[in-house]
Amino acid sequence: MSLFVNVRSFLRNLFLSRRVDGDLDQELQSHLEMLIEENIREGMSPQEAQRAARIELGGAEQVKEQVREQRIGNWLQSVLSDCRYGLRQLRKNPGFTAIAVLTLALGIGANTAIFSVVDAMLLRPMPYPAPDRLVRIWESSLKYNSSRNVVNPLNFLDWCDQSQSFESMAAISGLMTNLNSHGQPIAVQGMQVSPDFFSILRIAPFLGRTFIAADGVSGQDRQVILSYELWQRQFGADRSVVGQKIDVDGQPSQVIGVMPKGFSFPKMKAEVWTPLPLARTEEFKEGRFLTVVARLKPGISIAQAQQEMLRVADFTAQARPDYNKNWSVNVVPMLEDATQGVRRPLLVLLASVGFLLLIACANVANLLLMRGTGRLRELAVRSALGAARSRIIRQLLAESLLLSLAGMAVGILFAYLSLPALLALIPQSAPLPRSEPISIDARVFLFAFLASLFTVVVFGLVPALRLSTVDLQNALKQGSLRGGVGGHQTLRRSFVVAEVALALLLCIGAGLMLRSLARLTSVDPGFRTEHLLTMHIWMSPSHYSDNLKRSQYVNQLLSEIRNTPGVEAAGSTHFLPLMDQVSGSCFAPADQPVPTPAESPSAQFLIISSGYFQTMGTALLSGRDFADRDNFNSLPVAVVNHAFAERYFPAQQILGKQLHVCWTIEKPVEIVGVVADARQAQLQDAPEPTIFLSHSQAPMYFATIVVRAAAPRQVAHAAEAAIHRVDPDQAVSNVQTMESVLSDSVASPRFQAVLLFVFAGLAVVLAMIGVYGVVSYSVSNRSNEIGIRLALGADTADIARSVLGEALALTGIALVLGLLGSLALSRLLQTLLFDVKPTDPATLIIVCFVVFAVSALAAALPARRATRVDPVITLRYE
Amino acid sequence: MPPEQTNLLQGTLDLLILKSLIAGEMHGLGVSRRIQQITGGTFVVKPGSLFPALHRMEEEGWISSFWGESENNRRAKYYRLSKAGLKQLEVETKRWGRITWAIAQALETS
Repeated sequence: MSLFVNVRSFLRNLFLSRRVDGDLDQELQSHLEMLIEENIREGMSPQEAQRAARIELGGAEQVKEQVREQRIGNWLQSVLSDCRYGLRQLRKNPGFTAIAVLTLALGIGANTAIFSVVDAMLLRPMPYPAPDRLVRIWESSLKYNSSRNVVNPLNFLDWCDQSQSFESMAAISGLMTNLNSHGQPIAVQGMQVSPDFFSILRIAPFLGRTFIAADGVSGQDRQVILSYELWQRQFGADRSVVGQKIDVDGQPSQVIGVMPKGFSFPKMKAEVWTPLPLARTEEFKEGRFLTVVARLKPGISIAQAQQEMLRVADFTAQARPDYNKNWSVNVVPMLEDATQGVRRPLLVLLASVGFLLLIACANVANLLLMRGTGRLRELAVRSALGAARSRIIRQLLAESLLLSLAGMAVGILFAYLSLPALLALIPQSAPLPRSEPISIDARVFLFAFLASLFTVVVFGLVPALRLSTVDLQNALKQGSLRGGVGGHQTLRRSFVVAEVALALLLCIGAGLMLRSLARLTSVDPGFRTEHLLTMHIWMSPSHYSDNLKRSQYVNQLLSEIRNTPGVEAAGSTHFLPLMDQVSGSCFAPADQPVPTPAESPSAQFLIISSGYFQTMGTALLSGRDFADRDNFNSLPVAVVNHAFAERYFPAQQILGKQLHVCWTIEKPVEIVGVVADARQAQLQDAPEPTIFLSHSQAPMYFATIVVRAAAPRQVAHAAEAAIHRVDPDQAVSNVQTMESVLSDSVASPRFQAVLLFVFAGLAVVLAMIGVYGVVSYSVSNRSNEIGIRLALGADTADIARSVLGEALALTGIALVLGLLGSLALSRLLQTLLFDVKPTDPATLIIVCFVVFAVSALAAALPARRATRVDPVITLRYE
Repeated sequence: MPPEQTNLLQGTLDLLILKSLIAGEMHGLGVSRRIQQITGGTFVVKPGSLFPALHRMEEEGWISSFWGESENNRRAKYYRLSKAGLKQLEVETKRWGRITWAIAQALETS
């Protein structure tokens, strides 16, 4: 009731203010007349009565003002009038307004653009219902320094049986899949999942159904679920496809459902889902390859789940000690897991644009101070007419608010325009943690709005407080207002120092990132990346379950490719370098006890074909490469890399030594060659001890073919055709040059370095404007003094020196502060840098020199003007 | 000699206006005179305090206003107590009672 009355009064005051005021006028008028009548009745003369009544009323205008102040919504009225007034002021100064708005727009725009990426990648909840209850569960091992290791199938089954904390758990195994669509083989990324996978994520299918427990049991038809996108692309969005049989990996499989548009799982692209058959059989006893997702029961916290899983891990360690000793379990919230690795780089970028915004704010604050000094007389007049200090501050803040809102509008436009370029920089090849679109949406708008409110507080409040404390009476009295504002010069200088210091920080960050990128791209990978073509194949188990058939198949493919015109060499490996893929195996010298995963050392291993080293350009240091004579009937052989020989057989004759390798434990392998080290997982990872095994003796189901050719792109078609001559049903995927693989592998550091470089550039420009502004203002302030000094015969060089000296002193202070700041922040950058210390002296010196030179340049213009001051003119004005 | 005039205690003005409107609807001057009368001339409310208070209380919904004719056939703005105002009068009266009691207690304590 009372609220309703309040709102009604508020609206009436706001929209019918003229009528409300007219009413008040009449009320006071009638009050006055009644007072007069009363006085006349008491026997006063009409004049006397009128005078007494006016005295009692005590000034109709004051009464009205007092009533107005009491009204609900009074503050809004005055804010609106402040804004109207502010708008007029800004329109009167288009130059000032344009510069201030553009500066703010740069800051807000950069922040908005980066925030839209940060929001989409880090902040937005995962696109599943109740996403905060979703967790990933990993095995973890101190020995292998792996806190998020893929999971062994038997361990997963034990987890399912023994844990109480989860509604359900699902295992996932990523797999390439060959589809035959209209007689054309295509390779699509697939995911084998346990039946509960979709119900854990709580995503219903778009068509048909998802898996049930009975699916995937052997002896039944295979089932497959399609992604919306695949359904659109390959099946023409035909709804009747559900229930039909399609050819998946050479087996007829029934399509049981289509997932909704955009459905995805973090870091795993998949377009088909098939059931993952798991059982407590010998087949699943070894090997860790599953990723696990689970949904917590209501009321169970992550910590409780973790506690329980540690107990379950104790059980699995006791049940299979030779495999699980020293392994534990790690429960991680799904969002944190998905954003791991991009969190820090993105936050560093967000912090950098935050600095940029602060610099923009400092610049605008300086502009406001300078302009405010010119407005002191106006402020003094208002104050003399009775405006309270709070009212003047509010007026100045209203102007700042208008500026920042205009800055926001232009800034959002900037962000919108620059977003495509920004997105183009984001590495496309690496599976992003999130596949949600990055766009300027309501959340980003809200962020931009909050950012601009923040800028008002930063750039508007300090000048407003400062200007309103100036002795306005004094200001009115003085003919020249310049004398009264000495204090502002200090404030302005501090702003400039802060600006240059922040700009230096950004430049140091950018410099370090660029240096790190340069170091990274100049790393010798241990192979020659140019003139190299790569392509991936996946051999369907239904055709190639036989080991011999599979190994012969690859050899046939390779010889067919080698015979293609333009091809110089060809080979295969199971994991291509620089794709962040490694596999590990335990091993032991054959004269020692049989190796176990828990006790024995572990090395990386790669299954390769003969000719791989030659194709890649990796040098053979001693012994021999694999050859055609190495096959299932001959002695198993291995090649190791230099790091392996150094670590495990230092100063020994390694050739001829025999190893038990867990991956192919049946027979020991003999080391027949040593090759030079090459980078495998990533460019920045030092080469690990590696055992190479022959595809002819331990074939995998997948391989990446590498082809050396003078013109790799041009032989791509011929090479694919060669593969199809051997098996027309073989799908070929990921056809790309090694150069583009290399370029993609450094896309993420390049993204950071390029953006930081752009931000640092903007920061330097803004800081330069700041230095220029403050120095030229000080020159025009001192023009009298300079004029007198010149008149007295001072050397122009001395004048220039004194002006420049001021600017360089400020820059010097800023450099010291900036360097201290960079030391304080160095820990944050450390993990993002490769082979460069955050305190790298060369970078620091160069960056300091650049910033110093730029500041000197910015100060040089006003300094030159100072030397051209005409003493006659300045003195005449005095 | 007029009785000594006392400054209105904060919050008392609302109470006095509400109390005087109990007698019926009246215009601003009427309220002012009524207060003077019921306080034995102790309180004289100046327009500078009266009108802001009246308008504020109207916005609170305690009183409502309308234009009417005065005793001398003059157009005047009249105020009348609303239901909410009646309730507010009770609240203020109780509060005032507590204050006077507390002050009296304080003064008696030696």
